Amino acid sequence: MSEMVGKLFGWVNSRLPIANTFERHLSKHPVPSKVNFWYLFGALASVVLIIQIVSGIWLIMPYSNTEEEAFSSIEYIMRDVDYGWVIRYMHTTGASMFFAVVYLHMFRGLLYGSYQKPKELVWIFGCAIYLAMMAEGFLGYVLPYGQMSYWGAQVIISLFGAIPYIGESLELWVRGDYYISGITVSRFFALHVVALPLVLIALVFLHLVALHEVGAGNPEGVDIEEYLDDDGVPLDSVPFFPYKVLNALVGIGVFMTVFAIIMFFFPEGGGYFIEMANFEEANPLVTPEHIAPVWYYSPYYAMLRAVPDKLGGLIVMGSAVAILFVVPWLDRSKVASIRYKGIYSKIALAFFGISFLTLGYLGTVGVTEVRKTMSVICTVIYFAFFLLMPFYTKYEKTKEVPKRL
Amino acid sequence: MSIKNNFKKGLNIRNLIIFSTFIFCINNISAAEGGPCKDYGECDEFKYSLNDMASLQRGASTFLNYCYGCHSLQYSRWGRVATDLQIPEELFFENLVFDKSIKPGDLMTGSMSKEKSAQWFGVAPPDLTLVSRVRGDDWIYSYLRAYYEDSSKQYGVNNLVYPGTAMPNVLVALQGNQKLVCKDIPVIANNGGEKRDELGKTITKEKCGYLKVEESSGELTKDEFDELIYDLTNFLVYVGEPAKATRERMGWYVIFYFLIFTALSALLYREYHKDYH
Amino acid sequence: MQEKDNTRRKVLIGLTSAVGLSGIPFAATPFIAAWNPSAKAKAAGASVKLDVSKMQYGQQIQVAWRKQPVFVIRHTKESLQSLEVTLPKLADPDSNQIDEPYKGINPTRSKSAEYTVIAGVCTHLGCSPKYHPEVEPKPWDASWAGGFFCPCHGSMFDMVGRVYKGVLHQPTCLYRLIFLKGQSLLLVKMEGRLR
Repeated sequence: MSEMVGKLFGWVNSRLPIANTFERHLSKHPVPSKVNFWYLFGALASVVLIIQIVSGIWLIMPYSNTEEEAFSSIEYIMRDVDYGWVIRYMHTTGASMFFAVVYLHMFRGLLYGSYQKPKELVWIFGCAIYLAMMAEGFLGYVLPYGQMSYWGAQVIISLFGAIPYIGESLELWVRGDYYISGITVSRFFALHVVALPLVLIALVFLHLVALHEVGAGNPEGVDIEEYLDDDGVPLDSVPFFPYKVLNALVGIGVFMTVFAIIMFFFPEGGGYFIEMANFEEANPLVTPEHIAPVWYYSPYYAMLRAVPDKLGGLIVMGSAVAILFVVPWLDRSKVASIRYKGIYSKIALAFFGISFLTLGYLGTVGVTEVRKTMSVICTVIYFAFFLLMPFYTKYEKTKEVPKRL
Repeated sequence: MSIKNNFKKGLNIRNLIIFSTFIFCINNISAAEGGPCKDYGECDEFKYSLNDMASLQRGASTFLNYCYGCHSLQYSRWGRVATDLQIPEELFFENLVFDKSIKPGDLMTGSMSKEKSAQWFGVAPPDLTLVSRVRGDDWIYSYLRAYYEDSSKQYGVNNLVYPGTAMPNVLVALQGNQKLVCKDIPVIANNGGEKRDELGKTITKEKCGYLKVEESSGELTKDEFDELIYDLTNFLVYVGEPAKATRERMGWYVIFYFLIFTALSALLYREYHKDYH
Repeated sequence: MQEKDNTRRKVLIGLTSAVGLSGIPFAATPFIAAWNPSAKAKAAGASVKLDVSKMQYGQQIQVAWRKQPVFVIRHTKESLQSLEVTLPKLADPDSNQIDEPYKGINPTRSKSAEYTVIAGVCTHLGCSPKYHPEVEPKPWDASWAGGFFCPCHGSMFDMVGRVYKGVLHQPTCLYRLIFLKGQSLLLVKMEGRLR
């Protein structure tokens, strides 16, 4: 019996490199032996991606992408479809968890210089994934066609109108109608369900291939490839399978516990994951008291509102995301990890973190004079972190990085 | 324990600065805003109890008798309400379903035509299936008890929680006439105590805007009416999300499962970790 | 030491795998259950309630159930007696080839001695047969004693829906009949789909 299985496997393997791929990328793939919990978020992100795809497919089945039925099809899922509510909450919780995990994953990148040579392309693909995720999240939120779906879409699409010359035609073109309607919903549906998931999967694949080509980093910023054993395997590494897989499993366990707590006890997230206004069907004649995007866009929303001019706000918002792409070239430090960088980098990163979180809070609340000033200050700090980086990373005194882990 | 070690490592000056600055910023930037309960002040706290079948049943009865005449529950199905509230289907249909052509699988689409009601009231009475999720249960509980006499309004009533509401006070016969009254309130000094004059009597100031029900003008006492509204709000919480009770019950099992799984995988990981440490 | 480590490892792997794998059927449940008929489908496909007390003798009415026509016939004594006359013309007079739950109980092929409830769908190719209770010569049968005639391809059925020899091979479908509140209400239940 096992001989037959072996023969069958051999037949397949000589035509499709299964064994080789498994060894190269899993069982024999060397990863640094000493990493911390910050290194789990990449694996968690792929888990969430799978959850979103599976729950998403099941949501498409009962969902109706027409203006008349979209909202009631969501209630249909919640009430009439057996366990429909499980799948719906899985998807909404997954969306918020996706961003939480990715933000932490990106912060790890800033902490440990994961974008430094030769991982610049890994970082760039990552930024592209983040951009695609933001689009995907926005498009998905329009689909339930609640009040916030409608008015959030109204605000974001009207940003296109700020672009000089082509703005208004662009707005009309994106909407496909003179106002947001079923036409807009059904095209957003196609983009959210097919186009962007394909883009995301392709980008994730490229992100991982690029990573495997050059090897993962570590919190010390040590180059593990410098000291190899007789077989050419880095001394400070362990094979990915089973060691890192088991490590990831613990992370997944903790993550799923948090996921379950949110999904079963706080699926609305206090109004931050599913906004209260979205339990009311879209009404073009009634504007909600507060139009706010979901929490993961709120830092950028705060930046947008900090700038009085619409086009200016759009440029600032866009630049805030665009500047991420060039971080590998802004960081001039000889050292990768924050542990060995100088005092300026540490202060800069601390201020960046605080200002991003503050912007996040400011994006969720109404505008007052004090808050507007705070938004401006925090936006300046945010950009200063990046724009001053070539200077403070180059001229600060760094500590000596150890040779071995 | 690597988790404890990581926590200890995270407990450094930098992180403490970040955390405390964050808290400081939040406290200072937070400004008091007009809350959801508007002139009423803070909404009265409401705690749902979706396992209290008696309460839900009373709430359903109140809704179907007093509210369903104008407000639909268009995403809810009749038969499901009977099943979830553990009311025998025959009893339910005999006593609470007034249109005999309704079948158990039908949606509760309401008894008033939207076009006509928009004509009569200026705006069609909104569907209430999801009102507990749009406004919140605190809001509903406060709103239904915050009506007061106001001769300047169309129906002679106004509402502190929703000033200028187009809805009449449907439950006035049960609650009685509620009015806005003024009370003599003791003046509070800077040290927190009551201010007194030379003779030792407490100094009072007139403060208006309090709600008070006229004695014996309603069928129910204040407590009875509050309980009625509690049950009604409870029912609306149920109708807003019928799966809520199930969801919370299931949640415990799922979390328990993942805790066990995490513990086991942590043990397994540490076992293999010995290989390279 | 090595041995002890190995056993500990095996036990832990076993336990973790067992716990992990045991979660899979639970995780799969919502996805599989979501494919069950939803409450909307069940509502649309629910039993139909019909008041047949006002039906005239010899009358046939039609109701829709799960997007199919259902015939309800209230028989006169004469038409029930005429069933004997048409027996030799039937393809399967003793109802051996089909599942007859009420065989021998009622000549009406139902739970009631007066009413027949059958699917109004010709088992040949799906047209709707027409009710011809009159006992008179017809173009399709000179000695017609009442029954159904399908205009599409000429299939003929007796007054209770049993098929004549000829084009068709099976009698039309039959539904179980349940009475509520005496004789006034009729509940058509979903069982009884024949091959």
